[in-house]
Amino acid sequence: MGGQPASSNAAVLSAGTRFDHGVASGDPLPDGILLWTRVTPMTEAVPGSGLGPDVSVTWEVAEDSGFLRVAAKGTTITGAARDHTVKATPTGLRPSTIYWFRFRSGGVASPVGRTKTAPAAGVAIDRLRLGVVSCANLQAGFFTAYRHLADRGDLDVVLHLGDYLYEYGVGEYQARDVVVRPHDPTTEMITLEHYRRRHAQYKSDLDLQSLHAAVPVIVTWDDHESANDAWSEGAENHAEGAEGTWKARREASQQAYAEWMPVRYDVGGQLYRRFGFGDLASVSMLDLRSYRSEQAANMVSADISSPDRTITGTAQMDWLLDGFTQTDTQWKLVGNPVMIAPVRFPSTLSTAEIGGVQALLGTTTIDGVPYNVDQWDGYAADRSRVISHLRDHGVTDTVFLTGDIHSGWACDIPADPLTYPTTGTSVATELVCTSVTSDNLDDILGVPPRTASLAVETAFRTANPHVKYLDFDSHGFSVLEVTPAAVRMDWYVLSERTSPASTSSLSTSFRVAAGTQTVTAAL
Amino acid sequence: MSGLDSLTAVSQADGIANRRTFLKIAVGAGAAVVLSAAPGAAWAATSAAADPRAPAARTRVYVLVIDGCRPDEITPELTPRLHALRTQGVNFPAARSLPIMETIPNHVMMMTGVRPDRSGVPANAVYDRAEGVVRNLDRPSDLRFPTVLERLRTGGLTTGSVLSKEYLFGIFGERATYRWEPAPLVPVSGHAPDQFTMDALIAMVTASDPDLVFANFGDIDRFGHSDETGSSVKIARTASLARSDSQIGRFVDHLVTVGLWESSVIMVLADHSMDWSIPSNLISIDLILQDHPELREQVVIGQNGGADLVYWVGSDAGRAAGLAEVRALVTAHEGVLAVHEPAELRLGANAGNLVAYCRAGWRFSDPGVLSNPIPGNHGHPTTEPIPFFISGGSPRVRTGITLSDPARTMDVAPTVAAFFGLAAPAGGYDGVDRAVAFTSV
Repeated sequence: MGGQPASSNAAVLSAGTRFDHGVASGDPLPDGILLWTRVTPMTEAVPGSGLGPDVSVTWEVAEDSGFLRVAAKGTTITGAARDHTVKATPTGLRPSTIYWFRFRSGGVASPVGRTKTAPAAGVAIDRLRLGVVSCANLQAGFFTAYRHLADRGDLDVVLHLGDYLYEYGVGEYQARDVVVRPHDPTTEMITLEHYRRRHAQYKSDLDLQSLHAAVPVIVTWDDHESANDAWSEGAENHAEGAEGTWKARREASQQAYAEWMPVRYDVGGQLYRRFGFGDLASVSMLDLRSYRSEQAANMVSADISSPDRTITGTAQMDWLLDGFTQTDTQWKLVGNPVMIAPVRFPSTLSTAEIGGVQALLGTTTIDGVPYNVDQWDGYAADRSRVISHLRDHGVTDTVFLTGDIHSGWACDIPADPLTYPTTGTSVATELVCTSVTSDNLDDILGVPPRTASLAVETAFRTANPHVKYLDFDSHGFSVLEVTPAAVRMDWYVLSERTSPASTSSLSTSFRVAAGTQTVTAAL
Repeated sequence: MSGLDSLTAVSQADGIANRRTFLKIAVGAGAAVVLSAAPGAAWAATSAAADPRAPAARTRVYVLVIDGCRPDEITPELTPRLHALRTQGVNFPAARSLPIMETIPNHVMMMTGVRPDRSGVPANAVYDRAEGVVRNLDRPSDLRFPTVLERLRTGGLTTGSVLSKEYLFGIFGERATYRWEPAPLVPVSGHAPDQFTMDALIAMVTASDPDLVFANFGDIDRFGHSDETGSSVKIARTASLARSDSQIGRFVDHLVTVGLWESSVIMVLADHSMDWSIPSNLISIDLILQDHPELREQVVIGQNGGADLVYWVGSDAGRAAGLAEVRALVTAHEGVLAVHEPAELRLGANAGNLVAYCRAGWRFSDPGVLSNPIPGNHGHPTTEPIPFFISGGSPRVRTGITLSDPARTMDVAPTVAAFFGLAAPAGGYDGVDRAVAFTSV
């Protein structure tokens, strides 16, 4: 069950050395994969402590779970300087191939992980199946969504779109008013030790470990990996001075992220990157925190549409646009931490409903204007660049895959929101997965799921005709199936996020038929 | 009414011994169709021994170009017959037109399999330096690369061209074994309506049963160009789509009726798609350069709707600096997407010195602001996506699959040629044989 430490594994108790935080793989390439673990060489070498010796760690990649056919192996050194985390990047592997991997140190073997390389460039691919998740607050529940994804056994890769962990201290952000599992450290994470310990706590969750051990992930961060509503030089949840400098805090968060996440990223490096899956799809993962301008004060600020403000930064925008016009893959999937579809606030909500949405989205609201300055809505010039580029170049089959807002959405992205109701002209689509555990509208309103939120959802869809699906209440995960004919997202919802035994069930499905740039309900 | 209703035709010479022959056929309710044939080609309708091969022993390929059709316009509701063909066959949703996204160059790429720098046909309208005029590339001599229409003939097969547009008939000329000269022509548009084009196609299949027929249907493009509601509800365009779809259905029904369906491969694609602009979104390089008369006098503009070709006609000494200045001025216009060197787009020397693309929702109008009043245009990158699918009743066609392969207009020739066992031309193709659409023999 989730939340229990990994030390129940007999192998890791057989010696002083332990692998308490599981194994993981990520960033699959046709000929390689990134492998990750954390070794605890002695009891005192707890995460964030800075204690413990340098140790040698060997790794193996095999074509079989019994490790009879070893395809690659190597040795690396880790130590307290990197919190005893380990990364290995075997190459020379075969494309579209399942491999097993493990680590050894001090005579002890890690748990065995399973992973899969990406298809070779240009090769015809019939089907790609991805898990899609975001927003996993440990204090708000159990990560059963991860376990359900791990148990499927049919995924090629999982996209984590950010808010993999949360910065808050105990009691600052949980499940409605209940702290299901208290954070460690108990205070808001600010220092490198804090960030390392929090990462370690999340990596101790067995549901999370089961997912990482079963399928490679491609991750990006949103804000809570550092602090709420982060931007390039600050964050809403950062008090400059009292909490140190933002520069130091951000570097601490990035160092811990580089150490603890199965990602090809080093501190100060570039997190945005692109992956190819044969001729079927590319996946461009965005970093919408490192280069963005400060959020506008509100949605009527002239800053919203200023061409001098950015959410991507110039270099990342150029890279993103260039990727759209590469024609070597059919589907252009974008791992997009915050929503890009325009969303305007309906004028028909009650005061309570408005308050609930404000709390969910963390923003002020004014009827009839965009509602969230932290999304692309708050950076209209950058969004216009994207939409114009897609339209001007006749780019087809672009799908933004989004997290952040703890709710499920399926949207067209209008070429022009004003004429969309008449023309229906859409340049791309957006599919938004809900939160693994983080609060959403029914939680904030304090009502049962699928009751009061239904009227709010109807009002939002009416005010935003390009929004074809909206679920403000459910928690869970999504599965994206990509074929040459269509992209289809299935939203799975949890029966109870605060229960470690939560079941999941299919809620709804929407698809984007090839060449249409529109979402429709999947029958 | 479908199929051949009456064969009233008379085979006749055109006045020159051993040259073309003509056949006049009445089909449907329309006017009689007049077809011509290469010297020595027999008419099946007038000679039982026209093709000694048993009809069922060979497979016909029909390349049907739905001129200007957008891929998202093929829907079960609006175009049910096209949608059914696409669903039943092999669909290439990543298909695109190629520069310049105009009718003549893309039809040429379909039949040659090579880029404009090898065929000599980069656009509809170019500046002819020898003649000193901007003109359409509508002469047989403009096309400098062999097409499958004549190459298949050398292998003993027969081909046909049924091209609704006057300039297409012009450039492809007498390359096919059997040809139809479009008629009656709609004034201004210079094309024959789809109903008459389909009459001609059915007449050609009936009268000569070619192994390959290359057909162009121009209504959707022509109604798209003139649709003043194109940027909103597309009234004329939508009506045209439905009518053209029924004509395609008529052809399928005919093949079924006459027993040819099981031996037919139908390739359906467009040469480009369509984009609409409002009257104010107009770019005129002539206007851009009006404050620079010294530059304006040194360039000639070949206007192609969404693309302008700029030709330097001034001194060699002033070319580099002059073109750089023109480029900077044109690029600065808000409606201009990009300015390219023709070589970047593999367009060849006939495309001049610079190629300017407009953004979606804009159009070029040159040599003057009144030169291009039509709202629907193509030629710019937003009009690249096209429908492209291979269907038909032949068991050689794989059924019900969609592929990510990046099909292009220039893939038609290599695909058709390989299907018939014809070797690649000297220098090979630029396009790709989409044999993946077929089962192995």
